[in-house]
Amino acid sequence: MQDKKLTPVQTVIMAVSLVVVLFPVFWILMTAIKPPTDWNASPAIWIPSEPTFVNFQTLFDPEALGKYGVGGVSQPATKAVFGSLLATVVSTTLSVIIGLFSAIGISRYGNNSKSTPLIILSGRMFPPAAIAVPFVIIFSNIGLIDSYTGLIAIYVAVTLPFSTWMLKSFVDDLPREIEEAAMIDGRGKLAAHLTVTIPLIRGGLFATTMFIFILNWSEFMFALVLSYSNISTIPVQLAKYVTATAGTLYGVQAALAVLAMIPLVIVGYLIQGHLARGMTFGAIKQ
Amino acid sequence: MEMNPKLEKTLQEYEAGGMTRRSFLKTMTTLGVAAAVANAVALSPLGAVKAFAAINGPEERAWALAKVAAAKATKKSLTLLIPTGSIGNMTPYVDKWKNELGITLEFIEEPDEVVHTKGMQEAVAKTGRYDVMMPTAMSYPDWIDSGVIYDLTDWTEKHDPELFNKEYGVVFPASHHAQLYNGRVAGLLCDGDQITLLCRKDYLENPAKAKAFEDKFGRKLAVPDTWKEYRELAEFMHDPANGFYGSLEYRSPYYVKWMFMQRLVSKGVLYFDGEMNPTFNSDTGVQVLEEMLEMNQFLHPDAFSFTWSSNYNAFGRGEGFMNIVWPSGFKYSMAPSTGPATTGNIAATVMPADFTKDGSKLYAGMFCWGYGYAVSKYSANPELAYAYAQWMTSPTISADAIPYLGGYSDPYRVNHMLKPTKRLVDTYTLPYLDTLYHNIVNTVPDFCIPGGFEYQDALDKEVHACMTGSKDPKEALSQAAHKFERITRRIGKDKVKKAWIALTSNLAAPIKKAAGVDQWS
Repeated sequence: MQDKKLTPVQTVIMAVSLVVVLFPVFWILMTAIKPPTDWNASPAIWIPSEPTFVNFQTLFDPEALGKYGVGGVSQPATKAVFGSLLATVVSTTLSVIIGLFSAIGISRYGNNSKSTPLIILSGRMFPPAAIAVPFVIIFSNIGLIDSYTGLIAIYVAVTLPFSTWMLKSFVDDLPREIEEAAMIDGRGKLAAHLTVTIPLIRGGLFATTMFIFILNWSEFMFALVLSYSNISTIPVQLAKYVTATAGTLYGVQAALAVLAMIPLVIVGYLIQGHLARGMTFGAIKQ
Repeated sequence: MEMNPKLEKTLQEYEAGGMTRRSFLKTMTTLGVAAAVANAVALSPLGAVKAFAAINGPEERAWALAKVAAAKATKKSLTLLIPTGSIGNMTPYVDKWKNELGITLEFIEEPDEVVHTKGMQEAVAKTGRYDVMMPTAMSYPDWIDSGVIYDLTDWTEKHDPELFNKEYGVVFPASHHAQLYNGRVAGLLCDGDQITLLCRKDYLENPAKAKAFEDKFGRKLAVPDTWKEYRELAEFMHDPANGFYGSLEYRSPYYVKWMFMQRLVSKGVLYFDGEMNPTFNSDTGVQVLEEMLEMNQFLHPDAFSFTWSSNYNAFGRGEGFMNIVWPSGFKYSMAPSTGPATTGNIAATVMPADFTKDGSKLYAGMFCWGYGYAVSKYSANPELAYAYAQWMTSPTISADAIPYLGGYSDPYRVNHMLKPTKRLVDTYTLPYLDTLYHNIVNTVPDFCIPGGFEYQDALDKEVHACMTGSKDPKEALSQAAHKFERITRRIGKDKVKKAWIALTSNLAAPIKKAAGVDQWS
């Protein structure tokens, strides 16, 4: 394909779009290194007057902001960071693995019923707020409330329809003949899927993993409702940075948001080569 | 509880006139009775023995109960559900409970807007995870009805937290509308959330402005006494070219309803009549919204997006002449770190008065929000949880707890305002404590009835729609009234009416008279 240079108008549009897209990131980064005096300044201070890492420090040492006369932070964010990592990694792994085998099963051995998509996706049709309370009742009866097991279970339950449906579209795109050739060569069904199907849809697998990871990482409602004191996640912790003496601690919130972005940036960087292809959701059919 | 014999002898000797006030205070201090308590006892018209019993009694009775309950408790901890940002008033006592009672205090912090929901959730989950819960007064009806918290009446009758003591009790009418549901004690107040009016004293004392104001209005430049004066002052001080605005009154979602409710009750109109028919959609209500719309031109441009903290920050930075705030806003404005432009420059006053239909002047304030302690029905140690609530809210401990920064508690007992400790004075100043007292006696509560949060939310959305110009006043209030009727029908008119009648039966006499409450069945 021949390289085509952008016209000046396209360049301006691209530049403006980039500014719009990156501005929130810039603002979060700057706020994360602002001292408390700059958080609410009017007019707004774009670049911190005295850049500081005190907001990051406060995440793990609640007393750190004391040197600015700001007290009232009572909990370090350590537990929330750990909780988010644990719940997200485990639930994403389980969701993708279960979704993968469900996708292969439906795609290769299903009856191609027209109601299949509806049945799969119906799990995502309820607003979380509507099903949160029933889950609270069920989980408290079976001892899963305020536990990571419970949180992971619900994360898997609510993301499984997405992972199944996304992966099904990738498996559908893969010609059956390739797997059949492997079976003719003597491999069993499972071996054929493990050695042929999965490697060939790895782009979709990475994209799905990334998508499910983001969903779980940023989930707020269930984590808030199902937690008392044993479990915590970053989105829930973000809502708790309010003190009586300084109001909302925007700098500390921004610092935690920056930390929260890091895993997504790393995962995104590692799988970027697969993203473009994976995110087409099987748009190009054989 | 048995009194120290030396203390008892000293009190009796002083009461009999055998000791000067100075000697009495010196002896009391030597006996370990805090100077502020000793001073309050010496000044009390109750007499020394009775005053000491009143001020120290609730604390001592609570501690005695806590000792017994702690000794037999199998679970040696108390877990408290508290709103994020409130912990600063409680942490100073954690060691005492641990060291002297062997009870660990564990705090579960939740965003303040979630506390009510968490309580309702506990009603169905029944985890027993919480012992003490710290809601606002508006949560009590729904929480009691859902069975998640105890009716505390029997305990309060037995252990007497002196909620209604004239000298040390919770100030009437907050004593009733922020603690009772249908006449029964549902929670113990720990936070005097009333709104007052702050003005910039340095602008009021500016000679050039004083002269210009007097020339224009024919009266002295001073804090406003009525809403009309408030509006005139806002216009007079409004200087947007220099980033200085007449007032920082809220117009933002969630806060704007209080601005409406405040002005409405000042005109002698409550939210419902005696039959649960909405009354705010009357001509008076429309007039209130029109006055608010007219006021918008003199407000800070961020008034439509203010949260409590951004409002306090803007006022503290010196961006306006007046502000309608909770007592925490005064503390903000007093502290050099958060009020660089307002430290030492605040003149506070009670909320402005308005005129009722018959032309009489009416002072009415809002007691909005206001945290308290409730005891969970699913607590393993409910008596210990109750003892904690009574101990923390006793006249002595609460006076000590309130001035700690890092918590939302503000004065709510008579002694906090009229017999303050030095720390309370240092935190709030004597003139502001006096203002708080004269404001709180005329306060009207939030919707402390079943479905209270739903009513407030419905009203808030419609008032905000009007303030932003998407609905005219009549349309907005009609739609709010329609929503109110639906909420009342769904919850049950008789149930809500019973709570409303009980709530309004304990308002200040002038407000009851203006609203015609005495004539309701």
